[in-house]
Amino acid sequence: MKDRYEHENLYWIPILIIFVFLLPVILKGVTFSYKYYLFVLNLAGIYIILNVGLDLLSGFTGLVSLGHAAFLAVGAYTSAIMVDQLGVPFSLSLIFSPIIVGIFGFIIGFPALRISGMYLGLTTMGFGFIVKRIIISFRDWTQGSAGLEVSSPVLFGYTIKSDWDNYYLIYTFVIIAIVIGRRIATSKIGRSFMAIRDSEQAAEASGINLSQYKMLAFFISGLFAGFAGVLFAHTSSFISTDHFDILLSIYFIIMVLVGGASSIYGAVLGSLFIVLLDNLFVPLIEDQIQLIFNTQAGDIQSLIFGLIMFLFIIFQPMGLYGMWLKMRIYWKLFPFNPRQRFT
Amino acid sequence: MTDIFSGISQEVISGIALGSIYALIALGFTMIYKATEVVNFAQGDLMMVGAYVNFYFVSTFLSNSGEPSAWTFIVALTCSIIFSVLFGFFLDFIINRPLKDQPIFSVIMATLSLAIIMRALVAMIAGPIALMPISPFGGGSITFGTIVISILDLFIIGSAITLVVIFYFIFHYTKWGIAMQATSEDPIAAQLMGIPIKKIYALVWIFSALVATISGVLLAPRIALLDTTMGFLGLKAFPAAVLGGFGSIPGAIVGGVILGVIETISLGTLSFHFEWIKEINDIIAWFVLIAVLMVKPDGLFGVEKVKKV
Repeated sequence: MKDRYEHENLYWIPILIIFVFLLPVILKGVTFSYKYYLFVLNLAGIYIILNVGLDLLSGFTGLVSLGHAAFLAVGAYTSAIMVDQLGVPFSLSLIFSPIIVGIFGFIIGFPALRISGMYLGLTTMGFGFIVKRIIISFRDWTQGSAGLEVSSPVLFGYTIKSDWDNYYLIYTFVIIAIVIGRRIATSKIGRSFMAIRDSEQAAEASGINLSQYKMLAFFISGLFAGFAGVLFAHTSSFISTDHFDILLSIYFIIMVLVGGASSIYGAVLGSLFIVLLDNLFVPLIEDQIQLIFNTQAGDIQSLIFGLIMFLFIIFQPMGLYGMWLKMRIYWKLFPFNPRQRFT
Repeated sequence: MTDIFSGISQEVISGIALGSIYALIALGFTMIYKATEVVNFAQGDLMMVGAYVNFYFVSTFLSNSGEPSAWTFIVALTCSIIFSVLFGFFLDFIINRPLKDQPIFSVIMATLSLAIIMRALVAMIAGPIALMPISPFGGGSITFGTIVISILDLFIIGSAITLVVIFYFIFHYTKWGIAMQATSEDPIAAQLMGIPIKKIYALVWIFSALVATISGVLLAPRIALLDTTMGFLGLKAFPAAVLGGFGSIPGAIVGGVILGVIETISLGTLSFHFEWIKEINDIIAWFVLIAVLMVKPDGLFGVEKVKKV
C-alpha cells in the first residue's frame, strides 16, 4: 500500500508551521511597524483560504469562476448578520456560514452543468453583479451600500481584537485549509476533478458522475470561500459591498494563475505574492509615479497586476510553483543538465 | 393611457439607440470569436480607449482652430480610426500571436488583464477627472408627434445598421471574409489551402478595434461624462451577444437591441409602476444572460455546436 504523500518530502512542513507561528514574534523584534505587516499578512491569509477553494474549482476542475468575490461577500454578510443581529455565537457561525455559502455555491453551480468555458466565466461574473445588488437591496439587514459594522470574534470567552490575535486565528485556519485542500487534491475527488478538467467525455466514460462532481467542486469552493468570508468580516470589523467588486474576483483568479493553477501550493504562493506586492511594494513606487502622472489610488496597483498577469500567461503559464519545480529539477541535475530543456 | 404609450415608445427608441451600442461592441468581439475563437473581454475597454483618443483629437483641433465645425469632428474621427487600426495591429501582435495554442482560460485571463492595463493606463494619462465630450450634433432633436428623438441617437442607430450590414457583407460575400470563415472552421486546413492566416488574424483584430473606436466615439457624447468606468459597459455586451447567439453577426444586433430596450423600459415606465424593478435594473442584463444560458444556450440565432470527443 503506497502512502498518499510518499513521493514528497514532508519534513519541512512542521518547521514551516512553527515558522508561521513564530513570525509575529520575529517581526516584532525586527521592525517597529510590525502591526502593519501583520495586517497585510492577515489579508493574505484570508485570500489564501479563498484561493485554495478557487484553485480546486478553477485550477483542478477547470470551471472558471469570475465571481468569487460574491462567495466572499455572502460568507461575510451571512456571518455578520448571524452574529450581530441574530445573536448566534461566533464559533457556531464559523460552522454554519461556510455551509450556507457552500449551498449558495450549489445554486451558482447549477447552470454549470450545462455550460462551460467562457460562458461559465460570464455566468459567474453575472452572479457577482447580482449578489452585490441583492445585498444592497436588503437594506434592513445589510444597511445597503453604507456598509456594516461587525463585532470582533469571540472564541471560548476570549475576544480577539488586535492584529496580533487575528494573525493566530487566521493562520490556524490557513494551515487547516491547506491541509484539507491538499488532502482533497490527492484523493479520489481531486483526481476526478482533474479528469473532468482534462476531458469531460473521457471522465464520464470512466464512470465519473459529471454533474455530481461539478456540484461538489462548487460546494467545496463555497465552503472555503465561506470560511474566508467569516474571517474577513470579523477581523476587518467593517464590510461594505465596495469590498466585493468585480475587480476583486479578477484579482483572485490572477492570484491563482500567477501562483500556478492546479496546485494548492501555487494558490498559496500566488496569494502571498500578489498581496505582499500590493501592500508593500506598490506604496514604495506610488509616490514616484505620482510625481509624473496625476493618478487615482487603485490605478498603479491594477496596472502592475495586469502587467504581471499578462507576462505570466505569456512567458510562464505554469506560474510561480511551476517556476519552482523547474528550478528544483535544474539544481538536481545541476552539472549535467541538458541545456535545451530549460530554455 | 396615451401617456403610458408615448412614454414606452419614447423609451423603446432610446433603448434601440443604447442597444445599437451594445450591438456594435458585440459585433467587435463576435468577429474575433468567429475568426480566432478568442473571446475578447477587453472590447469595452477598447471602446473606452477609442472615446478618449477621439476626445483628445477633438480638443486638440478645437484649441488650434477655435470654433467647432463639422470638419473638426470628421478629421478627429479619421485620426482616431487610423489610431485604432494601428492599435488593433498591435493587439494582434501582443495577444493573439503568443496565445494561439493556449487553453481558453489563459486567453480569457490575458484579455481581462489587458482590459485592466488599458483602464489603468488611460486613467493615469488622462487624470482622475471625468471629461465632458462635445456632441457633434449639439443638443439637436427631431419631434414625431409626442416622441422626441435626438439626432445623436438617430446617428447611432444608423451607423450601427450600416456597420453591421457592411461587416455581414464582408464576412459572407468577399474573398477575405470567406477566408476568415475558413480560418475559424479549421486553421490548419485553411493554411493548407493557401490562406495567410496570420494576415487574417491581424485583419480581424484591426476590424474589431475599428468597430470599438467608432462605438466609443458615438457613445461618449451620449453618456455625457467620460471616464474609465465606460469599459464596464462593454461587459454588458456579452449578455447581448449570448442572447442573440454567440458568434452570429445578426444575433449580435438583435440581442443588443432587445437588451437595450429591456434596460431602458425597466428604468423608465415600469419602475414607476413596480418599485422593485428600480433595484434590479442595472443587473437585468445578467438575469437575461443566465436565463438564456439555462434555457437555450445557443441563443436566438446561434448554431448548435456538436462536441467532438
